[in-house]
Amino acid sequence: MRYAEPETVEAALSALSTHEDARCLAGGASLVAMMNAGRIGPGMLVSLHRIPELSTITETGDGLWLGAMCTHRTVAADARLRGAMAAVREAAAWLAHPAIRNMATLGGSVGLADPHTEIPVALVAASARVEVAGPGSRRVVPVESLFVDSYRTSLQRGELVTRVFLPRGEDGAVGHHLRFSRVAADYPTVSISLVLAMDGDRCRQVRVVVGSCGPVPLHVDAADQRLVGTRLEAEDVAEAGGLLARAAAPIDDVRGSAEYRRMLIPRLLGRALSQARERAHV
Amino acid sequence: MSSHAKPGPIPEPVGEVLGQSVPKPDAREKVTGRAVYTDDLRVPGMLHGALLGSPHPHARILSYDTSRARALPGVRAVLTAEDLPPNDIGAVIKDQPLLARGKVRYAGEPVAAVAAVDLPTARRALELIDIRYEVLPAVFDAEEALRPDAPGIHAPRGTAHPNAASYIRLVEGEPDPAWAQCDVIIEDVYETPAQQHIYLEPCSTLAEVDPDSGKITLHTSTQTAFRVQAITAEALGVPMSRVRVLVPRVGGAFGGKVESTNQPITAALALAAGAPVRLTFSRTDDIRMMRSRHAARIHMRTGATRDGRILARQVRIHFDTGAYADDGPFVANIGSYFARGPYRIPHVDVECWCVYTNKLRAGAFRGFGNPQIHFASEVQVDRVAEAIGMDPIELRLRNALETGEKWLGGAPVESGTLRACLERAREVSDWHRRRERPPAAPGKRRGIGVAAVSHVSGLLGSSATVRLNEDGTVTVNTGAVDTGQGSDVALAQVAAGALGLSLEQLNFSRPDTDTSPYDWCSGGTRTTFTVGRVITQACEQVREQLFEHASAILQRPVRQLELRPGGFVGVRGEPGASVSFGAIAGRALYVEGGPIIASARYLFPAWQLDTRRTQVEGLPFMGNGFFVFAAQVAEVEVDELTGHVEVLEAWSVHDVGRAINPAATEGQVQGGFVQGLGYALTEELVWKDGHLVNPTMGGYKVPGVLDVPAAIHAVLLEHPFGPGPFGAKGIGEVGLVGVAPAICNAIRHATGANVRRIPATGERVLRALMAREEGGAKASDA
Amino acid sequence: MSDKVSVSLTINGAEHALTVAPERTLLDVLREDVRATGTRRGCDEGSCGACTVLVDGVPVLSCLSLAVTLPGRAITTIEGVRNGAELHPVQRALVLHGAVQCGFCMPGIVLSAKALLERNPSPTVEDVRQALGGNVCRCSGYTRVVEAIASLGGRP
Repeated sequence: MRYAEPETVEAALSALSTHEDARCLAGGASLVAMMNAGRIGPGMLVSLHRIPELSTITETGDGLWLGAMCTHRTVAADARLRGAMAAVREAAAWLAHPAIRNMATLGGSVGLADPHTEIPVALVAASARVEVAGPGSRRVVPVESLFVDSYRTSLQRGELVTRVFLPRGEDGAVGHHLRFSRVAADYPTVSISLVLAMDGDRCRQVRVVVGSCGPVPLHVDAADQRLVGTRLEAEDVAEAGGLLARAAAPIDDVRGSAEYRRMLIPRLLGRALSQARERAHV
Repeated sequence: MSSHAKPGPIPEPVGEVLGQSVPKPDAREKVTGRAVYTDDLRVPGMLHGALLGSPHPHARILSYDTSRARALPGVRAVLTAEDLPPNDIGAVIKDQPLLARGKVRYAGEPVAAVAAVDLPTARRALELIDIRYEVLPAVFDAEEALRPDAPGIHAPRGTAHPNAASYIRLVEGEPDPAWAQCDVIIEDVYETPAQQHIYLEPCSTLAEVDPDSGKITLHTSTQTAFRVQAITAEALGVPMSRVRVLVPRVGGAFGGKVESTNQPITAALALAAGAPVRLTFSRTDDIRMMRSRHAARIHMRTGATRDGRILARQVRIHFDTGAYADDGPFVANIGSYFARGPYRIPHVDVECWCVYTNKLRAGAFRGFGNPQIHFASEVQVDRVAEAIGMDPIELRLRNALETGEKWLGGAPVESGTLRACLERAREVSDWHRRRERPPAAPGKRRGIGVAAVSHVSGLLGSSATVRLNEDGTVTVNTGAVDTGQGSDVALAQVAAGALGLSLEQLNFSRPDTDTSPYDWCSGGTRTTFTVGRVITQACEQVREQLFEHASAILQRPVRQLELRPGGFVGVRGEPGASVSFGAIAGRALYVEGGPIIASARYLFPAWQLDTRRTQVEGLPFMGNGFFVFAAQVAEVEVDELTGHVEVLEAWSVHDVGRAINPAATEGQVQGGFVQGLGYALTEELVWKDGHLVNPTMGGYKVPGVLDVPAAIHAVLLEHPFGPGPFGAKGIGEVGLVGVAPAICNAIRHATGANVRRIPATGERVLRALMAREEGGAKASDA
Repeated sequence: MSDKVSVSLTINGAEHALTVAPERTLLDVLREDVRATGTRRGCDEGSCGACTVLVDGVPVLSCLSLAVTLPGRAITTIEGVRNGAELHPVQRALVLHGAVQCGFCMPGIVLSAKALLERNPSPTVEDVRQALGGNVCRCSGYTRVVEAIASLGGRP
């Protein structure tokens, strides 16, 4: 196995281009576990930890740019992640357990595209955009466009995620992330991430994303639309949840059957919405 | 069942050490990281071992080609069954080869072993071993495996029950006509999972071979140095005089490190390589190659009168022992022995099968067959209470066996303290108030449940040597292994209490088969109880020798002498007249009598079932041990949306006879509760087509700190009685046994959902809840 | 063949010059090269917490940390917690509360608790529970472990 630890993004890109089978090493929480289990054996590791740019956080008028190497611990502790952005902060605050949160990074979570975990779910809910650096250029894409399948992204060989933009969202919008897992230190069986804005007791805008119920985070426009303009009453939630459940493609695993996950979607959607509303009122 | 031993008065300890929560002597080295576990050992020239697991659950081995592996630089030994003596091992049935011979019987079964200069090389070598298999039909369900047309895992197909490892039937009274007298009859099928021990330290052995004598020295993580010695010698065809076993610190065991783990194969690698070999399992190899608790399916029917007398019970148990019997037939013994529960049920019919399937072997695990049957029995008793409209504790009290009454099979209950445990549990848990269902959080329902618990403490043989050192301090030798449960401190406290010494005056040795007296195993809730007993016996002999000398020195008759704290023999009523142990030692060593030393031994006698009372088929003796009792209560909150169960608070009330070290005892109770909570709610090995799908700690989830109640109240009752030291009774396994039924009874109290299968995952509980809401009680099962 | 990378790791304040392959974890290097075996191996996938160490004061899993990435970072293992003959207050509390059973989880728990107390000297029971969320203990049921650590905070 070859190893490089470049100090700039450009040097990282150039290192990635030197080897067919090079992988970026971010926090290591997932990559090293997979290496230990013999599930992967990359020909080259390009560690990103010495690239200062990747650990910076920049606030703009519209939101926050978070460097790809920001750990979940850093994200969870950043009080600037308010309003809609809180969905990401909450997801980062409760996933797995403290030592994992101290290691795992935002960019690592995006690049891995693990369908069991929840940061991608919250990022999609928060309408995050991702800056991708490739040979000679950088582009900014909606985060959901990166997730193409279980553990597969639309990143091209030789590209890497440099930072993530979280838009502030509209005034009064609140983000919320609800995870449901067998035990606290586990991947969620189902997670629900959403951004909600109310006009009095009516839903003005909502974006609901479901995790662990398919190869990629599940977002269904029609489900959002079913909720917009309603008072989020039981029937509205049930129908929106039904749309999501029908669109979901969960699998059976040790955390629950596909059928259970489908049952949970509308149930947890209701809980997530009411928790988000409580938050909106405080 | 120690009625053979005359119940004498329980002695009182000398001094203050016994009964104090003194810190464990090994605690400092454990919190500083200095404690040495087997994988921390390294010797010059040491190689690293690794095992290759079978890719098939059932297949004939057609051929091996190990040439590529042997040719890999750094590889020093490659073994398959062809390189080993054809000696099978097994606690009850000798059915296990060290490496699969002829065929593989479960996916993951070790088929080849490698020793190499480092672990990566050893693992690469495993990938280079070519084995050709012919896949055979496999069977994964215990009841299916009993059919005559099932694939024969050990015996040929077509025999009546090709895969029966054992069968037991126990009948008392006249069950058939008794049902007509019952006002209510509850019948259900209960299922319990293959729980894994997940001791935090994976199994590990370092094997060294002396090139001249051929003597094998094993350093290993085990519950039993002496069984490891015997099994290794037997498997390799060497005399036990050429095998020595030492036990470094053990990182948990819970039954998973009884008998042998990877010691014999590591010794075989060291012999083949001519160098020391250390073999430490990866977590995944440990999970897929070692053993689990027996999964069980239990058909149970219980009938009672409206006024709360349980009259009849019929039980049919299937224990799934996996591909090898291991302790399975003994586990099945205990399961059937506890099938009546701690209740006086006059008419009982128990049938119990222990069955081979093409899965990981099942063996000993804290509770040893008892958690399975307690789950069925205690959930069913609760349903009886519900059906007759009686408080669950009240129903249990009405039927609880009392001192002097007989167990199933006729053994007497010598210290029947279940009533005391239940009454205390009712009081400390504020049972009646909580039964009123205090308000729960929104979307949650709250309930409280109880289980009555019985177990046995004791069994098999132990010995101890106690000798006086020249300065009057004392050295205690036993073969007992402290796997973390705290027996080293408890046993030292027993010796301290027997001789009136401080812990600083005691040297408590670690197990080494070259020098320690025999002990069977740190298992079976027996170490403090049985080893403690032999220590008190040996101390008593030492006391007699001390008194003989003191009598001569003090010029007083022995009957006027007493032990005094701190290592003195004094004259009763004369505070000034005493002689120190040191002075006595000097006299014994240099003047008269010779060294002061004593050894003691004890074999807990097997209880022969009373065949005038009980019709018996199958094994004629069972459950040797002393009955111990407890009551466990859990309060839960059930999430209506997800079915997720949270245990809010727990009470575990145990008659420990005498608490030798209350903090250590409470720690055992609390730890047992949480392991039981995992069994109840999350822990389950899952197979798909004979392959484990969750052989990792990420897939197989044990409870973390956030999954358990902050308050687990361990309540210790002290009713000293019986053959244990100072009337102490065993505790090690008991804390786990009733947790699952207590939690499931709480779930039913909270929601009405009848959970018959554990773990009671969110999914299972939600389905039961939904069924209940849709179709009433009949359909409310999960 | 793997690259061999020369690194200097700062472990408990001492520099260790080592040559390691990039895939080697800090856990391997600690146990095999540095011979600091107090850091325990329980699962190799970050699920048990037995291998917890501090990197710049923050608990991380040494089984998931590659040694090559750690030069310049302050690595604290259990061997670096004790100060001479004195136990750290966390260690003393665990011993005195009878929280120690098999002990295999203890180094990780001590380090997680030490990091907690350094950022929050008076943690509540709930703070302690949150901080230990990744440290599996299979023996104690956690009751006494949490009591011991929370006793140092002096808050309920």
